[in-house]
Amino acid sequence: MLNRREKTCTLVALALVIGLLALANSFLNQYYLRLINVMGINIILVVSLNFTNGLTGVFSLGHPGFMAVGAYTAALLTIPLRQKAFILPDLPAWLAQAHASFPVALLAAGTVAAICAFLIGYPVLRLRGHYLALATLGFLVIVQVVVTNVSQITRGARGINGLPPETNIWWVYGITIALIYLSWRLVHSAYGRGMMAIRGDDLAAEALGVNLVKHRMLAFTLGAFFAGVGGALWGHLITVVSPNAFSFAQAFILVVMSVIGGMGSITGSIIGAVVMTLIPEALRGLEVGTTIAGFHIPPLYGLSQVIYSVALIIVLAVRPQGIVGLREFSMRRWLKN
Amino acid sequence: MGSVKKVALKALALFMAAALIAGCGQQKSGSDKQGVAGANTINIGVNYELSGDVATYGTNSKDAILLAFEEINQKGGVLGGKKINAIVLDNGGKKEEAMSAAAKLITENKVVALLGPATSGATMAAATMATKYKVPIISPSATSPDVTVDPQSKKVRDYVFRVCFIDPTQAIVGAEFATKDLGAKKAAIIYSNSDEYSKGLYKVFKEEFVKDGGQVVAEESFNSGDQDFRPALTRVKDAGADLIYVPAYYGDVGKIVNQARELGIKVPMLGADGWDSPKLAEYAGGAANLNNTYFTNHYAASDPNPRLQAFVKAFKEKYNREPDAFAALGYDTAYLLVDAIERAGSADPEAIRNALASTKDFDGITSKITIDQNHNPVKDVAIITMVDGKQTLKKKITH
Repeated sequence: MLNRREKTCTLVALALVIGLLALANSFLNQYYLRLINVMGINIILVVSLNFTNGLTGVFSLGHPGFMAVGAYTAALLTIPLRQKAFILPDLPAWLAQAHASFPVALLAAGTVAAICAFLIGYPVLRLRGHYLALATLGFLVIVQVVVTNVSQITRGARGINGLPPETNIWWVYGITIALIYLSWRLVHSAYGRGMMAIRGDDLAAEALGVNLVKHRMLAFTLGAFFAGVGGALWGHLITVVSPNAFSFAQAFILVVMSVIGGMGSITGSIIGAVVMTLIPEALRGLEVGTTIAGFHIPPLYGLSQVIYSVALIIVLAVRPQGIVGLREFSMRRWLKN
Repeated sequence: MGSVKKVALKALALFMAAALIAGCGQQKSGSDKQGVAGANTINIGVNYELSGDVATYGTNSKDAILLAFEEINQKGGVLGGKKINAIVLDNGGKKEEAMSAAAKLITENKVVALLGPATSGATMAAATMATKYKVPIISPSATSPDVTVDPQSKKVRDYVFRVCFIDPTQAIVGAEFATKDLGAKKAAIIYSNSDEYSKGLYKVFKEEFVKDGGQVVAEESFNSGDQDFRPALTRVKDAGADLIYVPAYYGDVGKIVNQARELGIKVPMLGADGWDSPKLAEYAGGAANLNNTYFTNHYAASDPNPRLQAFVKAFKEKYNREPDAFAALGYDTAYLLVDAIERAGSADPEAIRNALASTKDFDGITSKITIDQNHNPVKDVAIITMVDGKQTLKKKITH
């Protein structure tokens, strides 16, 4: 646990972050604010993916599936009733009458996603390695197909437009900070230790009395809960939810962020999410083509997306453990230096 | 090995840092350009699907827009000598990217108007930003009625315009053509149940055809990608239809036409702009099968209009390929915007919006265009007939 000096420093750092966010909120234009919000949502998604993929060694590709569940759940709750009656006339009565404020909708998004995770977790979490990854990928495909075809609830491929733009910097970073704190407490708890033991060697962990199913299930449902919340935040940021946004490509991007930062580390997850949000965005300026010292570079549209794959290949080749590996940022070590 | 890894790692770090710096530098040079914008250039945002699934739509439109701006700048620009500076961003066909690109163009590049995206979903996402910052946005090809009119409140979206006709228009014109020109009395409709575009056209065509005095004798649905249409076609044949309306995309249409002709169904077949593809004949099992088929489209490349032919020639010279409907609509969008800027007499977004809303008889290459109170164009719909595999302009109907 932290001593008093470390605690003070942590609180000061937290206050500093909040101050910076307040500054950003009042002075930056919409473009940069959106970027900061997207970055925060990516941190939420990658840190929650880290529960399974990093801490427990359960390689899940189903994260966007839970995002979709959360995003649609929240969307159906926050859209004003009259608008809902108009765009979704065939909704079952209980759903057509349901309305909730944004925080309640976020909670519902997380809960429904967690329930889905709990239900599919029973069969899926008995699998290992590649089989498990494939089964979670299967879940992602199922969610996409269902969302595309149950058009009386989801409007199918058209998606639901006109969500209230509730997501702001305080919701995003409030949840981000809460999640990081929760994640940090988990890692230092008996459950977290159990998860890491399973990651090291599941047979040995089981022999030592760690309940495999229980620990994996906890990691899986907790990750899904925050994926659902992240999906809901994302939907209310761009004000549109449509099935093709929660695709395998999204799963790939999240895994790349996690691997590049350092799978298994909360610090690594945050760094991965931040770096891989900012670099593609910065590269976007280069896509349009430019002339440097008489040398003409033609436009290369799509370049910013290629960077995910290129960065993944380079990291896997030269630094498979990612930028920080398994290490964590430690206030104690930082104060010593 | 260790040293190789170290070098590679350093290279990676350097590359990433360079990317970040270059990206920031790029933005800076963009805003430097901005410094002179007030004096002798006008910034226009071009926000398109240039990568991803529908990249061909966006690329064709974008290329035609750049061609139009090049011509305009060569002729001396707008507002007495100001040059147009088009800033192109790729949205990858994703709604969130379309929105982010629109935000960037408006707040960073200070554009006075936005052109694109090509698809309805991306346009609606980008339009939320345009509305927020009160900058006009024109889509060349977003055909969903909801793009310019809020479906719930029925209120027009003030800053959103388009230059293509909306889906119901095609079906209305199609029904009119079927009853008046083809003399059809008993129509059969084969539509895709898994596609909103197809279902929407089916509904409107049915209503209009009955209103025009016809009778719908058979309605058959399929799922996009189905292979065997013979059972449905047999029922259509037995119903004694004298016209088959197939509002679908060319992949399915080709198979339906092929199997219909195979079953000896000789009646005319009618479709919509989803038919427009050089691959149609291939799917239909040969050009001969396509004789006596018609479809509604945004323009016909064979239209003798000299300005259209000049565009087709210039586009081919510059890009070495045939322009399609997206290109023709993009070209009209660019000229429509410039026309509005000239009429507004200033590059103020609000003035441009007002000028766009009052566009009357603008002489475009796809048609004369008048913007109506719902910000949709009143324009010609081209009816194309296939003659030995070649698209031939049959008729133009104004709606």
